[in-house]
Formats: sequence, C-alpha cells, structure tokens
Amino acid sequence: MATGDNLIQVTDLKKYYNMGAIKALDGVTADIRRGDVMAVIGPSGSGKSTFLRSLNLLEEPTGGSIVFEGVDITRKKYKDASGKTVTLDVDALRQKMGMVFQHFNLFPHMTILGNMTLAPIKVKGLKQEEAEAKALALLDRVGLKDRAEAYPIQLSGGQKQRVAIVRALAMEPEVMLFDEPTSALDPEMVGEVLDVMRELAREGMTMVCVTHEMGFAREVGNRVLFMSDGRLLEQGTPEDVFDHPQHPRLRDFLAKVL
Amino acid sequence: MDSFIKLSNFPKLLPYSQLFWQGILVTVLLSVFTVLIGFCIALVLALMRLSNFRPLRFLALDQDGHQKQQGFLALVGRFNPLDFLATAYVEILRSTPVIVQIFIIYYGVFSLIKLPSFLMFGFIRFDRFFPGVVALGLNSGAYLCEIIRAGIQSIDGGQTEAARSLGLSQAQNMRYIILPQAVKNILPAIANEFVIIIKESAITYTIGVQDIMSAVNAVKGATFIIIEPLLVATAIYFCLCFPTSKLIAYFERRMSRGDRR
Repeated sequence: MATGDNLIQVTDLKKYYNMGAIKALDGVTADIRRGDVMAVIGPSGSGKSTFLRSLNLLEEPTGGSIVFEGVDITRKKYKDASGKTVTLDVDALRQKMGMVFQHFNLFPHMTILGNMTLAPIKVKGLKQEEAEAKALALLDRVGLKDRAEAYPIQLSGGQKQRVAIVRALAMEPEVMLFDEPTSALDPEMVGEVLDVMRELAREGMTMVCVTHEMGFAREVGNRVLFMSDGRLLEQGTPEDVFDHPQHPRLRDFLAKVL
Repeated sequence: MDSFIKLSNFPKLLPYSQLFWQGILVTVLLSVFTVLIGFCIALVLALMRLSNFRPLRFLALDQDGHQKQQGFLALVGRFNPLDFLATAYVEILRSTPVIVQIFIIYYGVFSLIKLPSFLMFGFIRFDRFFPGVVALGLNSGAYLCEIIRAGIQSIDGGQTEAARSLGLSQAQNMRYIILPQAVKNILPAIANEFVIIIKESAITYTIGVQDIMSAVNAVKGATFIIIEPLLVATAIYFCLCFPTSKLIAYFERRMSRGDRR
C-alpha cells in the first residue's frame, strides 16, 4: 500500500470508567494514514495515553470503532471476507503495532539481546541466529551493538529507551506507538531518543507519538492532534496547530507550555 | 531448688535415641515432600486465580460485538469459574484447622483408597506417611498459592503490557516474563513456608506418622517421662528451623545484592 492510505480509522471512540462516571475518551474520531507522523498533545489527564493504548487494545474501548487494515478491532468477533465469523486475534494484531512506553518496560531478567529476540523467536518463529543477527543490526543502528550482552539495569535511561524502540522494531510493525517516550528521561538524554525517532520518521515509518516535546511535534510531525478532557479539540498540520490555534483551550495550553 | 526438669531423666532416654533419629528423618522427608506437593498445587491454583477464563463472556456481548459494561449479564460475562474454584479452595483450607483436614484425609479419603502397607527405609509406614504428606501438601498449597499470587502481582504491570504489545500470548507472558521474575521474588517466602511446615508437621503424629513428636510419645508411653523427651524434641526442632531460616536470610541478602549491581 502506498503512503497516504488510511491505516487506522478511529470513529467515535469512547472509554468510560466506573459505569460512565469517568470519561477518559469521549467520542474521538481520527484517521491515521500510512507514513503519518502524528503527534498527540494535550494536558495530562486529557486522554492522550488512553487513546494511544486503545489503538493496540491495551485498553478495551467502551464504544466506537477502530478499523485497522479493514477490520474493526474493537469487536471480539467479526465477519471475514467470505462471510465467516472469526474471533479477533489480539496477539496477531499487536505484532503489527510496536509500542514504546514512558518507563521503557524492558525485561530486567534478560540481556538486551534476549529482550530483542524473545518475541521474534517465540511469536514469529524466527530461528535464534536469524533473530540475533537482526537484533544486532538494529542495535547497531542506534549505536548500542556493544551493549547486546548487557542487562537493562546496566544501561542509562536514554539507552534503555533506544533499546525499547528497536525491540519493537524487531517485530517489523506497520505502525509505532509512542507513549511519552521521553518523559521519564533525564534532560540530557532526551535528544538521543528523539534522534532515533526522527530517523524512523525519515524512513517513512507510521508513528503516533503522545509527547510533551512541542519542538519535536512541530519539527517531525506532519499532523498534530490536541486533546483535552477525553475529546479531540483540534487537529491539523504543525503550522495550523502551533501558529494558528483556533480553540481557546489549545491557546491556553500552548501559552503554558511554549 | 526443686525443678520440673530432672537431669537424671536424660540418660534414661538414651535407649530410645534411635526413635529420635528416625523422627528427624521422617520430619525432614515430610517437610520436603509437603513443600514440593504444595508448590505444584499452589502454582496451578495461583494461575487459576489470575486467569482470564470467562466461558460465559458471549452472553455479555451486545449486537455490535462490544462487551456490555453494566447489568446482570455483564456480571455473568465476567464470571471466571477457575478463579471461583481456586479461591474457594484457598479460603476453605485457610479457615479450617489443619488437624481437622488431616483427620478428614486420613479417616475419610484414605479409608476408601487402600494404600499398600510397606516400610520405607525399613521403618516408615507408608500408609501413615502418605496421607500425612497429602494432607499437609493440600494445606500448604493454599498458603503457597497466596504467596505465588502475590509474587506474580508484584511484577510491574508494564512488563505484561510490553510483552503483550510484542504479540506474546497470555501464556507466553507468564512463562517467559512474569514467572521467572516472580519466582526469584518469592523464593524467600517459600523457604519460610518450609520452616513453618517443619514445625507444623508435628501434628501428623496424631495419625501415626513416626516423626519427632511420635518419638516423644513413644518414650512417654514406655517410661512415663514427659518433660525431658519434650525438651529433646524442642532442641531438635530448633536445630532444624533456626539454621534454615538463617540460611534463607543469607541467600535473601545475596539475591538483593545482585539487584543493585
């Protein structure tokens, strides 16, 4: 499929807690096209992370739909092309969506190489040597090839996050989801992680980044989403959103963070 | 000064020392097998309690295939029979006395199942020893289940999220990510349970298992001396339990040192 095709179509997505008393997502509609680098910004508690985590079903939406590669993944069962009812394979779905977390979530009992080869071997069925060769190539790209045998605890925050990114890439996902990837880092390590993400964007990876790095959102993103109180209040190009904000909440937000 | 302990009684115990040596062996064997059986039961129970098995889930789907959030059917959809059974087992075993459980196993269950009566090591009566191990194992399974469950739940939720995001199934996540980390965390607690079982196993003398307490009883019956054999038993239990818990503490320190690296 070519760049610009719709990859994920989110329609009226809702996520309620406590029988609807808390509306983390209150009807979000957005589409993610192939090759998009989408930055999701907004104040904390605005539902950005919930939105991102709904995309690979770490959160089970209460309502609405998420159509990924032609299938509504919010439904447990759906009809395939031949009209047969099939159960949604969440594990297969998640392989196609790499996820990077704020707190890295590397597996502390495994080496870096072990972290990177586990899923390719156990889920994709790659041979050990294949998976390791691939992992080493990826590590080389982020300058960490010499740390392959180290344990996560021996790495700095920035190194951990770079490993977390290439660990997700080792599964060759269609889209990468970033959940505040630099928020838990020391300031001097933010740059090295953003560099890796910038590089990924340049290669045409479809990315959705929940971020507080406005500079990054403006420079690398081709689309920016502004969320507040579980709603998508404004979206557009970085110029639209940052230079010509329409919604008062967005202006208010930008005044505080810029 | 008059004392309830008469030193002159200790030499009279010497002819029975063989009983105490045998008692030590039985107690140790009893504890080891109990922990092994208990651990296996506990692992299954803990996984049942943490499982996501909801066979009635289909009842709680609306026309669109979404999970219903409220109403009676939503509750039915969330019902997990595995969790229910395991929880019931744990709560019942933890809320009733061990001695009642042992009697029910020995006089109840094993009155129906005929055990071969042979001697292990030439003196351990298998038809007494086996019900004792089974009863203690079933009991400590309930306690160890809670230890294992706590160990699994102590692992940061981000680990599961990362594993599942990479496409690992629930079972693979358990096998490769959660259990290896949880086991390391709970080893000290399991070792503590072992010490507790060494002491609790004394109760099996009531069904005729020839452990240390049974040796005390035998001496009492033969010589009418009570306090001195009890003191010997006290010393033996202490010598078994105290070094074991010290050893555990030592390994606990060493393991946490590894974490800081």
